[in-house]
Formats: sequence, structure tokens, C-alpha cells
Amino acid sequence: MVAIAPTVKVKRRRAKADDGVLTVGRSRAGTIAANTAGVVFAVLMLFPVYWVLNTAFKPADEVLALEPSFFPQHPTLDNFVSAFKAPLFLKDMLNGVIVTLLAVAGALVVGFLAALAIARFSFYGRKAIILVVLVVQLVPFLSLLIPLFLMLQSAELTNSLIGVSITYLVLILPYTVWTLRGFISGIPRELDEAALIDGCTRAQVFWRIILPLTGPGLVATSVYGFIQAWNEFIIINTLNSPDKQNLMAWLLQNQTTRGTAWGPLMAGAIITSIPVVIFFLIIQRNIATGLTAGAVKG
Amino acid sequence: MKRKIAVAAALAATLLGVAACGSNDDDAPTTSASGKVDGAGKTLKVWLMVDAQTAWKGVVDDASKRFTEATGAQVNVEYQQWANHLTKLDATLAGSDVPDVVELGNTEFPKYVFSGAFSAINPGDYENSSSWLQGLKGACDFEGKTYCVPYYAGARVLIYRTDLFKSAGIAAAPKTYDEFLTDAEKLQAASKDPKFGAVYMPGQYWYAAMSWVKSTGGEIATQDGDKWTGQLSQPKSIEGLQRWVDMVKKYSKADPTKNENDQANTFAQGTAAMFYGNAWEQGSAEETKKDPNDPNSVLVPTKVKGKLAAAPMPEIPSFLGGSNLGVTEKSQNKELAAQWVKAFTDSTSMAGLVKANALPNATALLDKAAADNPAIAPAALAAKNSWFPPNAEKWADVEKGAVLQTMLTDVLTGKKSVADGAKWADDQINSTLNES
Amino acid sequence: MSVVETPTTRPAAKPPAAHVRPPKKSRNRTPWLLALPALLLIAGLLGYPLIRMVVLSFQNMRLRELLSGRTPPWVGFDQYSKVLSDGVFWAVVGRTVAFTVASVLISVLVGLGIALLMRRVSRGVRLFMVVAMMFVWALPQLVAAQIFRWMTDSDFGVVNYLIDKIPGVDYANHSWFVNPWQGWSVITTLVVWAGIPFLAITLNAGLTQVPKELLEAATVDGASPWQALRNITLPILKPLIMIVTTLSVIWNFGLFTQAWVLRDGHPEPSFQTLATYSYTQAFGQSRYSLGSAIAVITVLLMLGVMVFYIRQMFRIGEVE
Repeated sequence: MVAIAPTVKVKRRRAKADDGVLTVGRSRAGTIAANTAGVVFAVLMLFPVYWVLNTAFKPADEVLALEPSFFPQHPTLDNFVSAFKAPLFLKDMLNGVIVTLLAVAGALVVGFLAALAIARFSFYGRKAIILVVLVVQLVPFLSLLIPLFLMLQSAELTNSLIGVSITYLVLILPYTVWTLRGFISGIPRELDEAALIDGCTRAQVFWRIILPLTGPGLVATSVYGFIQAWNEFIIINTLNSPDKQNLMAWLLQNQTTRGTAWGPLMAGAIITSIPVVIFFLIIQRNIATGLTAGAVKG
Repeated sequence: MKRKIAVAAALAATLLGVAACGSNDDDAPTTSASGKVDGAGKTLKVWLMVDAQTAWKGVVDDASKRFTEATGAQVNVEYQQWANHLTKLDATLAGSDVPDVVELGNTEFPKYVFSGAFSAINPGDYENSSSWLQGLKGACDFEGKTYCVPYYAGARVLIYRTDLFKSAGIAAAPKTYDEFLTDAEKLQAASKDPKFGAVYMPGQYWYAAMSWVKSTGGEIATQDGDKWTGQLSQPKSIEGLQRWVDMVKKYSKADPTKNENDQANTFAQGTAAMFYGNAWEQGSAEETKKDPNDPNSVLVPTKVKGKLAAAPMPEIPSFLGGSNLGVTEKSQNKELAAQWVKAFTDSTSMAGLVKANALPNATALLDKAAADNPAIAPAALAAKNSWFPPNAEKWADVEKGAVLQTMLTDVLTGKKSVADGAKWADDQINSTLNES
Repeated sequence: MSVVETPTTRPAAKPPAAHVRPPKKSRNRTPWLLALPALLLIAGLLGYPLIRMVVLSFQNMRLRELLSGRTPPWVGFDQYSKVLSDGVFWAVVGRTVAFTVASVLISVLVGLGIALLMRRVSRGVRLFMVVAMMFVWALPQLVAAQIFRWMTDSDFGVVNYLIDKIPGVDYANHSWFVNPWQGWSVITTLVVWAGIPFLAITLNAGLTQVPKELLEAATVDGASPWQALRNITLPILKPLIMIVTTLSVIWNFGLFTQAWVLRDGHPEPSFQTLATYSYTQAFGQSRYSLGSAIAVITVLLMLGVMVFYIRQMFRIGEVE
């Protein structure tokens, strides 16, 4: 349940893809061997992904064939249609969107303020706050499920989207604070000071310098939060009934008493993954753009 | 630091305080379903399992319609999945916005009845209550009161391939267990396919294994006063377990770590000649829904379409599975809820269930059901010779803990001997059922 | 080999300007006000449940108490003595630890190998590798687990089908979860497969920080690639490797989803981890207090690793 990437990685992405590649003392045969190994590795990595796609486009009788075919013989969209028509699929999709957006928006606002405090102020207790943020990121959230469940239940917040949204907010908050802190302290303090000398107020510094410059950081952080919240299913599956769950929980339970419907399940898995994959690609680009890109425009 | 302590104290106070306001409701009144209730403007929340949605949604709608006409209240039915419905039920029942009527599997009921989740009902208010199937009703009884209403049952039968029987020279379904074994032997010999198994019997199919245990006079657990004792390691139980294990090892190619959920689909691939399933599973094996998520989907014939028949499993008493309906203790509309249950379990509704290949909730209706619907005749027969798991408060925990499933896999894969496996399961059952 | 002496201790490309003039510590209330909402939320939804978890582990809460809202009876250390004297629990602990060690070791080694390989291949191949890894990385954990469940299905799984194709091998209807070693190798494969992208891409990024000149000079001086790796690359990469290893330990120790999904929501005793064990005890068997006690013990077991991680974060200057 801990955020997947530490800041180390986010920052490191700035390095250009190609620098530092050693060219001295390399044999052609070595390169060919390395390339072959690289391609084999990539193909192996992709095999499961290919297999979902393959399954999802097969008609039901081909899915459950004792001799699986490596390409759908009669490609069909039935499984996707079936997933969309499935009870609660659309409802759970909407729930997922609502819960995720609420959590991300909340975490962003609250987290940004806290990050600002840590990154731009020096005060007694600062280290303690940092420590808290780091520690709570590591507490296995699952172990808190029992008391969380009891707590939300006595607040009448189980089986509600609000309860889950708040939980997710807190789930992604430490990561958000931590990452935004990195982005904010990446903005040269001279910019603040110059602006202050130019007669800006503290608030103006915030609105005109810090906020615009952390733009890419906010995007990257919120997308990461989005992925975390979107992918979560254990909490929502335990707290809420099926009509108040998200697509992940739907996927977990899309099996009837009459066995697993693998075709629609795999189609559902693809639909569920698409937003995540897209957002994932977005952060890659945004982080690559760098922290100070866009400079001061406000 | 002082502030910290103050906060901690406040928290502790809340922790202790929150929990202290429940009331002891052991003497809660019985909910009546007789008489007229005005439910105008009210909406009843009903939780049924997904089977009702896939197989007999019409019956639900009809009962709700009659109920609405009689009381003026609306009904909102939510269909639950078996996979995780208990966790969800716990979460919901702990709150205050609870469903008024809840369906649970018969083996799941005692735990909730004991924990005070359901309101006592008056059996006399319901049709056919004098002959309710004991396997279902047993789960509703607690300290002299009845806390739920039997809903439907399913009994397991032998489903077999008529074409393979014919080509192996077998004229009819086996009448004795020995005949069943000889037939299996013939069927196995008739096939050259290494994937072929005469019987499809997944290893964690504990309803089946326990039926074999019962067939030799064995027991799962017995009660003496307040104490439950696992009986699987008793000689008679071991004999039955051994009988099942021998048969499975010899004739089944099924995965010893799977349960029976997928068995109809797998059987439809044609790599087995017989399986032990609910009556309706014959239909699922012969035809699959083109769109499994759509209750009204077009049906697509499988490889075994038109080649299946069902018969009672000879000499093996069937496990009587099924569901009951309860009115929740926290419901704001108990009387209305009871009225709905009454409508949904009356003879009209039961006739609808029979049409959908489920067994009715009372023995008085079984013969009529067998006559009305030949497809469930073998199951109706099997239901007369049926058993059900120990009616212990914590039996659901044994099921949830996958005790029997684990034991069966261990025994089938040779990790434990039958005797060791049974001993282990007994220990688990003892400690679970007697836990304070 | 004097080059070895110059590793940069700080792998992160750090914006230098941030440190120019550390302002004086102020008694200003603004930073606390800014941090307050976050701290309140963390206290309310992480701190309070943590306390409540500990309290719960000294009580005996079952379904009856949950439904009625009555105070569960206090039982002192009963839950702990029950857990700690239970052989099953220790088997679960041992299994979780063994899995963590094995899976982290494999993941990090393979990840490092792939990262190094990425430095050696042509640009097109590297791109292909990155794209492949991105897809795997982006897949939700649950989806990945479902895919593996489907691929290793004993009747319809493609893995059995492919292995069965090897002459002389009979893997038709082979069940991967009969033998715990095989079952765990499926789970480990899944975890490693899903973990490689993060490790390989992060470590590869770290490798770009190794000065090219240093490696070239070493090669010219006659150092073998192995020597260059051991004496130049690894020392520079070490802080980063420490961090990713620690994170992997924390994640893999909490393994839940993969075991849960591959065992279809009811893991057999030999597939229980601390996380699934606590969950099934609490939510499956309604032993909320016992589950809490297990969770408390889990957190305590993790404490050492967490402290190590935080110290690392401070040491490499992530926390300034």
C-alpha cells in the first residue's frame, strides 16, 4: 500500500536517456548477444500482457479450449460488450472515478500545503513532521484495516463513497507530501527572494512562482495518486457492498457460482487498466520535461 | 508532551465509550408475518444471492409484485456474489442502514443467528412450514426459537454422458455403488485420451467427499452438551473418506486444488464421463451463456449438448445445500420484511423455483416437484436421502477456514495419509467449533 | 585503480540552489498551520486506527460484539499468547520471511542485470525493453494476478499447454498449487515479473550517473568489465540499491493480493502470508482481535526494516 516510487526515482528521470553509455571496448558480437538478450527479455515480459489481449478477443468457446490458440480464430468484441453490460460494471466504474478524484484532489490540496511548510520553512518540529510522513508511508495499510473498518462503521461511513474517499486520501497523502516537497525545494529560493524584493507579498510569491513552477510536479503527483487510488480494492471490497465499489473490486468478484467467465474478466481487466496505462505514460513525459521547465511566466 | 497525553486520553475515552451503548436484546419480540401491514411509502431492502438473478428473477419479481399489492411498500432487491458476501454482510450489519431481508447459505446461518443478527419469526405464519426441509430449518433454530425461513434447496446427483456410456457398453445409470465403479472402469478403459478421466471430481469438493463419508455411516462432528467433537478420524468416517479418495485417485483427472465452481464448464470440454453436481449443472454443462454477464443471454451449445443425463448417485446420501431467508434484527421494517419473505416462500413462488430447477423448501412439495419437472426428479429423490453439516454456531468458520478442502487436497496429493488428514481436520474442527 | 576513490555519495541529481541560504529557524506559526490539515488527517486515519488496533488486540471482539456494538471483553495478553504459541502462526512468519528474502534477492539481481543490459544494447532494443517494462509496470496488481491465475489454470492455462509441448513432459492438467514449492514459485515469478520494471528502470537511471570517463579510463587501464562493475559502478550505485532493496522488502513482506488472487480468495495454510493470515482471521473468521494482534506483530517485525529505510533516506540526503 506504500506509494510505488520513491522520490529518488522521480528526480533521476531527468537524466537524458543516452548519456553515460560506454562505447570503448565493445565487441560487435557482444552487442548482438546483448540485443538478443534484451529482445528475449522484453518478449517474455510482454507475454502475459499479450495473453490477456488474446483471451479478451476470443469468443467464449475459444477461451475455454483445451488447446489454446495463440491468436483469436474468430476475433470478437463480445467480451467487452459483456463486461460493459455486466451488472454494476458502469456503476462501479463511476464510483471508482468519484472516489479517486475526491481522494486525489483532497490529497493534493492538503499535501501541497504541508509540502510547502516542509520545503520552504525552517521551524521547530520540521524534522518530526518529515519523520511522520516517512513512517506512515511504510505502515502496512492493510494491517489498519480492522480498526479502520470499526472506526468508519461507528461514524456510519462504511458502505459509502465518502468513507472510502477519505481513506484513500490518507493513503496517498504521505506520498503526495513527500513528492511535492521534492518539487518545491527544487525551485531556487532566489526566485522567491527576488520576487519579495520586487514587492511581491508572500501570497503573491506562492501564486506567481511556486504554484506555476510546481505544475508538472502536481500533475505527476496527482497521476501517481490516481493510480494508487484506482488500483486499490482490498479496502473498498471490505468496507462497501458491490454497488458502492470500484472496478478493481468488481474484477475480483466477477465470478458467478457457475465458474469464472474468463473472457469478460480479461476484457474487464483491459478496460480497467487503460486509464492507468495512459496516466502512467503521462507522468513519464511530465517528469522528463523537468522541474524548472516553463520557467517563470506568472 | 502534556498535550500529547491529553489527546491520548481523549482518544482512549472515545475508544472505550463508543462501544458501551449497545443494548442486550436477547428477549427481543418475535416478528409476526400475519395480519395486515401498511407499508405505503416504504421501501424494503432485500439481499438475495446471485442465483436468484440468473435463474429465477421472474419469481422474485412476481413475489415482490404481490407483496407491493398487498402492503403498498416497494421492494429493492440487491443481488450478492457468493465470493465475499459474508464480509460485506458483516460490514453492513454492523452499521445502521441494514438490509431488511438477507439470504444466506444454510450452513452460514447459525453463526449469525447466534450473534443476534436476525429476528425471531413465527413459523406458523409461513406456508408449508410443518414440512420444511430439516437440512435448511436446522440452521434457523436457536434456543427454542426460529430465526429464518427455508428458501430453496439443491441436492447433488450423478450427471453422465449417455453417448460414452453406450459406446462403453453400459445400458443404464448405475444402481449400486459397485456398479458405479465398474462403469467407471469400463469408461476409463474405453478411452485412449491421457487427459480423460471417467469421473470429474475436483479435489476440494468437500460436499462430495463428505457425502461419501456419510455413505459409510461416518460423521463430520457430533455434539455432546456444549462440546463438539470432530468425528472424521472415527473408523466409519475414515472408511468413507478412503472410499472417496480411492475413487478419485483412480478415475479423476481433475485438479486436486480446485473446488467444484468450474466443474460444469470443465466437464463440457468432454474429457470426463461423469460428474457429481447440482441438478441445474447439467444444463450449464450442455449450454453456456454467450454472454455470461447477461441473465437473458443466448445459449450456445457445448460439445456435450444432448449427451447428458442425470440420476441419483447410488448409495451416496446427498448433501443438501440451500439457502434461508432472515429478517434482520436491526431492520426498521421487520413486519413488512416478514410479509415479503412469506410471499417469496409461498407455494406459488415455490412452483416458480421448481420450474427453474431448484428444489422447494418443504418435503411436502418434493414429490409434486419431481412430477412437474423431470429435470429435477433425480435431485428431488436425492433430497429425501440427504444430510447437512453440523448445526454448530461456528461451522461457518470451519468452512471459511477451508479446513476440509485443505485436508482433501493433502490426502489426494499424498502429503498426508487419510488417517493423518482426518486427524488433522478433527483437531481443527474441535478447536474452531469449541472456541469460546 | 585510484579512480575507485571518487564515488559520488549522492546519486540524486539535486537542485543545488535549494541549499544556498538555509533560513533561520522561526517560531512562525505559518508552517504549522500549513501542515495542520495533513497532520490531522494522518492522526485521524492512521494514528488513531493504529492505537485502536493495539487496544483491540487486548480485547476479544467477535461477530456478536461487532453487530451489537457492545464493548468486547478485555482479555489482556490472551490474543498474543494464543498467536505466539501457535505453530501455524510461526509457519506463516517463516514462510513470509523466506518468500521476502527470496523474492527480493531475485528481483534486485535480475533488475540490476536488466539495468546493466540496457546500457549495453542498441538504442532501438533499449526502447523496446523500456516500453515492455512500462506496460508491465502500469498493470494494476490485481489484473496482473488475475492474468497469472488464468495462465496457470490447470485445465485451460497456457503455461501447462506450452510445457506439455516439450517432448516427454506430461503437464496436461498439471496443478501448480498442489506442491507449495511450485505454487510459491508461481507467486514469486509474478512478484518478480511485476517488480522488475521499477527496479530495472530506477537502477538504469542510477547507472547514467556513473561517470562515463571513469569507466572508459578503467577499461583503458586494462580493468575487466567485472572489475569495473565491482569497483566503480556498484559503489556508486550502492545507496540507490539499498533504497530499492529496502522498499522491495517492505512491499513483498506485505504480500497479499498475489497470494489471495492466485488461490482464489481462500489461500490454503501453505499459501498464507502474514497479511492474508491476519485478514482471514479477522474478516473470514470474525476474530477481529486475533487479527489485530497478528497485525501488531507484523508491524513490530517490520519496524527494523523501516528504521533502516528512514536512516538511509536521511543518509543519502533525501531529507535535508
